Order: sequence, then structure tokens, then C-alpha cells
Amino acid sequence: MNPLHVKAIARKEFYHLIRDFRSLYLAFIMPLLLIFMFGYALSLDVDNVRTVIVDQDKTALSRDFIRKLNASAYFEIIRHLDDSRAAVRYLDQGVTTMVIVIPPGWTQDLTADRETSVQILLDGSDPNFAGLSRGYITAFVEAYNRDRLLSFLNRKGRETIEPPVDGRIRVWFNEDLDSRNFIVPGIIAIIIMIVGAMLTSLVIAREYENGTMETIRSLPIGGGEFLLGKAIPYFLIALTDVLVAVFMGQVLFGVVMKSSFWLMVLASAVYISVALCLGLLISIATKSQLVANQMAILITFLPSLLLSDFVFPVGNMPKIFQILTHVIPATYFIDILNGIYLRSLGFAHLWPSYVILVGMLIILGNIGFAMLKREGM
Amino acid sequence: MNISGPDVVYVKDLEKRFGRFVAVDKISFSVKKGEVFGFLGPNGAGKSTTIRMLCGIMSPTSGYGQVAGHDIATEAEAIKHSIGYMSQKFSLYEDMTPFENIRFYLGVYEVPPEDWRERVEWVLDMASLQDVRDRVTKELPPGWRQRLALGCALLHRPEILFLDEPTSGVDPITRRHFWEFIDSLAEGGVTVFVTTHYMDEARNCRRVVMINEGRIVISGSPIEIISRVFPKKPEADLDDVFVRLMSRRTP
Repeated sequence: MNPLHVKAIARKEFYHLIRDFRSLYLAFIMPLLLIFMFGYALSLDVDNVRTVIVDQDKTALSRDFIRKLNASAYFEIIRHLDDSRAAVRYLDQGVTTMVIVIPPGWTQDLTADRETSVQILLDGSDPNFAGLSRGYITAFVEAYNRDRLLSFLNRKGRETIEPPVDGRIRVWFNEDLDSRNFIVPGIIAIIIMIVGAMLTSLVIAREYENGTMETIRSLPIGGGEFLLGKAIPYFLIALTDVLVAVFMGQVLFGVVMKSSFWLMVLASAVYISVALCLGLLISIATKSQLVANQMAILITFLPSLLLSDFVFPVGNMPKIFQILTHVIPATYFIDILNGIYLRSLGFAHLWPSYVILVGMLIILGNIGFAMLKREGM
Repeated sequence: MNISGPDVVYVKDLEKRFGRFVAVDKISFSVKKGEVFGFLGPNGAGKSTTIRMLCGIMSPTSGYGQVAGHDIATEAEAIKHSIGYMSQKFSLYEDMTPFENIRFYLGVYEVPPEDWRERVEWVLDMASLQDVRDRVTKELPPGWRQRLALGCALLHRPEILFLDEPTSGVDPITRRHFWEFIDSLAEGGVTVFVTTHYMDEARNCRRVVMINEGRIVISGSPIEIISRVFPKKPEADLDDVFVRLMSRRTP
């Protein structure tokens, strides 16, 4: 390994990068775009469930019910209507996701201790959202019932009894159940795959397409030097992107790392190297920028997005996919980042994931080296 | 035209197969130091395959070859240090300037940094590229790019220069200058190994080998070859020889 060779290749690669508009876009604009998109648009949290109220009872009690509902942070009453058919139209058009109908005579029944009901209609076209909304409204109705019961017992002069079991829920690691807290680590993993694997998948294919690979092979450059020189500029860019993502996560979304910053940098450095290796391997194997780019999306970007436990929980996947997640580098990287970001775990807990990533790096690097050797380098 | 130096390229029974296809079929020849050696043949005759084996890019299936004293099968690395190679596409990095291209080659050829300035000026002067040293290479005409590619291949002062169809797509005046330059290199002791299928250019070689379908058909100086193939036809030229020999093998 001659540092002079590596430097010459890295410098050349840097020129290609800064003179190619597409690469620059992918390297710098795309990550920012992703952070904004995932951070603001793709919030997996459900709050302010849009609700249309049809109060056909119109009594002090029904108004109190509605007021309590509106006071909760989970619901946002967007309309009061008299006609339930009009409310259904709101649901059809997707303007609202929930309709609550309080039937006439509701207060009468309630005060006469007869069984009563309110009708709740939910838009189930987004099952995740509907499920969470149902949970919120069920909890709300239960709480309302308990209050009614207590005041009933009070009125009758009975001693109030507390419910025998009170489930006290405390959420650990992400106290507010804020999905941004786990989206930021996920974004970092995705950005690295885009910058690392997708960009580098082009760089050796480009040499083949332009005929410069022929010259490269005639020069006294070793395969290892070639790979390293090619990787260095992209490594630096990917690392910069990670730091920008971390910074923006903190400033824009208030996502603060709980454990060591340097552990995060170390994990990123290893994971970036894995991504770069993957990209370069694809580039050598395909020898065409177009095919390489498609391959990179297919075997690096999509699996990192879909199978890494970032967007879709691995626990719910069929067995075969669950096995597949074990060979995806992003799985281990996100595991480390979640440990660092949410659980304040140290290296003592996280080392197995580091070891697996380093192992992947060694294997991929050697494959790349062997492939270049076969190409005459 | 009396060359009797040592062999800098020596090839014995060199063979390259791709599966069942025989690209180079047990050829033997040698090139002396300071010679301008022409390797002629139609497209697909095995010219590029041979040159690649000699440059250490591709390993032979069988046979022996020596370039600048190094075995082509085992010492590719050493060969790459002592040769310059220019492919038919003058493969430069077109998004980089002449200066940046030269700098890349300086790095990979391990030219000592204290010599860099002098070598850069040398190439830019030789290729008359001083005025465009900071223009992007893709804006330059083919002839200029050819000169730059040639300069890059010579940066480390190689013993042997391999040129694979060096004048394709270049205008006649540039070609003439090119050959004058090649002559001056050879006078300075550099061996030049050139493939071409332009027979008018082959006249510039002191010795040529013609190959067809992977086999050597004839070798010698251009004049020798012409008189051997057309003993009774003094007005014949290399073109005639080429057409005669290359068509003979295809029934």
C-alpha cells in the first residue's frame, strides 16, 4: 500500500465528485431533504385526531362531554354538526378521521341510570392511525365512565372506592413516545447508504464506461490502493452528512444523544466503510453506471429502509424476512444508534454489533480486492 | 537501420484463450531496445490482447513473455513501472484539466515530488498545452488529447512505450507530428511498440509483425516484407501486402 498512490486516486476522485452535479446533489442536498422529510412529514406519532361532533342531545351534560374531549391533546374538534349524514360525508372525503354521534335523549338515559351509548365512526383506511385513534377514544370513554361512577357513588353518599388495579404506565428510553427520537438514528443509517453505497456504486463503473479502467490497469496501482483511494472522498462526505444530521436532529427536533458522541462517530465510521465497500463491489460487478445504480437501490438502500427495524417492526415479519434482517448492515447500525440515542448504553453493551459490522467490512473488502485482482490489478 | 541491442520484449509461444476461443495462438517474437516496432493486423486479430498481456494487464494462458527483463506472468507490478501505455481511446479523465491529469499520473508513477514541476512543464511544452492547462480536457480536440495522453504515459520516463492504435480519430497533420515525435523518442533509446491498422503509418516502423486470427503471418522491415510478398512488383506497398496476406487466411 503506497500512500502516494492512494493520495493520487483520492484527489482524482475528489475532482470527479465536485464536477458532477448529480453526485453533488446526492451527497449534499439529498441528505438535507431526507432529514426534513422524515423529521417533519413522516411523523409516526398520532395526535390531534381530527374529529367531527354530531351532538343531537344538546344538553349541559353532552356539552360537558364534548368540552372534556376537546381539552384532551389527542383530539381536535374541527366541526360541530347536527346531521349525522353530513358528518359521514366528512368522513368519506377524508376531511375528518373520526365522527362522534351523541344520540338524542342521551342525558335523560344517563341520569336515569339506563345504559346509553355514543356512536364513534373511525376511518380505517390507515390501520395504524385508526388503531391508535381507537385506543385514545376508548381510554377517554373509560375515564369518563369512571368519573361518572365516582360522582354517582358520591351522590348516593357511599364511600368511594378506588379501582382495585391501577395500571401505572411509565415509558422508558423515549418518555414522550416521540417517534422523532428514533427516526433520527434511522435517517442517519439511510443517508449513509445513499451517500455511501449509491454514490460509490457509480465510481468504478464510470471508469469502465469511459475506458479509463484500461489505463488504470496498466498503471502500477494495487487493488487495495484503488479501493481505498476511491473510498476516501466519499467517506469524508458521508461522515460530514452524519454530523450534519446529528446537529439538525438536535437543533430542529430536539433529539439529544444520551450516550457518547465518539461511540456514535466510531459506529458511523465503520458503517460508512461497509456501505462504501458494498457500493464499490456493485460497481466492479456491474461495470455500468445505470445497472449499478439500480442494484445499489435494490440491495443497499431498500433493505436498509424496509428490513432494518426502522420503519417496519421486524418482529411482525415472516420468518424468512426476519432471518434476512441479520445480514443487513443497517440492522446493526440502527441497533447501536438506538442504544446510544435512547438507552444511553455504552460500549460494554453495544460491542457485539460493532464486531459484526467490522466482520462485514473485512469480508466485503476482501471480496472487492479479489474481484479487482481478477480484473488484472 | 542497424539495431543490435538487447531484447527488451521477448515472447515465446505466447497463447491466450477465452474459453474455447483462441485469441492469441502461440506467437513468438522479440523487440530490440530503441526499436519502433509495428504490430499490425485487422480488427480482432489479437493485437490488443497481446499488448495487454505484455503490459501486465492480462495473464497469458500459456507460453513465456519478458518485458524490460520482467516475466509477464509473475512480475506484472514491475512491468507496469517500466512501461508507458496509451490505449486507443487516449483514456484521460475528461472532467479534469490537463494539469490535473498529469498530476494524477505523477502520483501513481511515484515520481519524486521535487521533480513534479519540471515534468509537468515538460509534458505541457511537449504537447503544446500550456495555454489550455486549466481547461477541462473534454473541451480539447482529439489531437490535443492524444498528445496529453502520450505525455502522461511518458511522465515516469519508461523504457518501453506501448501504443494501442494511437492515431485513431486524429487528423493527418497531427499524425505526422506524432510520428516525428515517436522517432525522436526512439533515438533517445525508448522502445516503441505500436499497433495500428493504418498501413501508411506502419512505414514509420523499423520492423513490423503482421498477425491474423492470433497467428503471426509475416515479420521483417516494411521494405523486406513488400519485396518478399511481391518480388516482381516494385510499385507495391504495405497496403497491398496487408490485403494479400489477410485475405489469404479467410477462405
